[in-house]
Amino acid sequence: MENFHIDGSTYIPRIDFNAETGVLEIEGESYHEYTTEFFGPIFSWLEDYLEESGKEITMNFKMSYFNTSSSRRFLEILTLLEEYQNNKEGQVVVNWYYEENDVDMLESGEEYADDVELTFNLLPY
Amino acid sequence: MGYMEHFSVKTFKQQLAMKKISLAFQGIFSQDVLALIGKSLRNTPESRVIAKRLFAIVIEMAQNIHHYSAEKQYSEKDGRDIGVGIVAIAEDDHHYIITSGNCIVKTEVPPLIERANYINGLSPEKLKEFYREQRKAPQREGKPGANLGFIDMVRKSGNPIEINIKEYDETRSFFILSVRVNKELQN
Repeated sequence: MENFHIDGSTYIPRIDFNAETGVLEIEGESYHEYTTEFFGPIFSWLEDYLEESGKEITMNFKMSYFNTSSSRRFLEILTLLEEYQNNKEGQVVVNWYYEENDVDMLESGEEYADDVELTFNLLPY
Repeated sequence: MGYMEHFSVKTFKQQLAMKKISLAFQGIFSQDVLALIGKSLRNTPESRVIAKRLFAIVIEMAQNIHHYSAEKQYSEKDGRDIGVGIVAIAEDDHHYIITSGNCIVKTEVPPLIERANYINGLSPEKLKEFYREQRKAPQREGKPGANLGFIDMVRKSGNPIEINIKEYDETRSFFILSVRVNKELQN
């Protein structure tokens, strides 16, 4: 399976999903006006990737800013991973990186950690 | 008489200075405009967290205008109609005041006021719960937004949102939304 990559820009995050290593990474800022359009291909890739059971996946979020509509998309990604872990013998670890002192980004991570049943690390950088 | 006889740039500049308006944009809220506003807010002196909160609130307001303004213009670059409106940031000694204004269809006014009142009345804990509950709810049909903007504005600012409605024309009202952000980081 092909890896998935999108270069980041001012308002879209860098996306690096590596099918071989199972490391999926989203980094930067996310405030595209039409997040359903932007995230469409990302979800298609994920759905293909999660077809096969038993994978070990590391999901890294390294966001410096995201808007409310991206926040919905992130929850959808996490929910997909949660379902994968529950139904397809997957092992998922989520690393939520936040800039030290960014109390809001830390809180966002804490809320996601409460929303899904996944191993969730909150990591300052 | 010059070209601008009905408009004095100098008076306009003085009015902005008097109200301590550091940033104002009027027009179509395209993606590029948002990015530019974001960049200019990076220089907010108080702290990075405050700068990010201001930016977050401006983005939510701008995206409301982009999607829901009842006055639209075609953007060549984006290849679609984009909402027109205004966003301004002013300040006093202790706060930044972010205000947006745009036309909306009259019938949309009451539900917006009702929602704002409800959100303004929630404690920080309840607000957090409500945010997470709404985020889990399915995306609304035909609406690109997350339905989280007002909640996010109140959470990020620590203050209620204020709505003012002005007469505009027969079918539309002018919708003004204001949020105060404390300059000092609380909690």
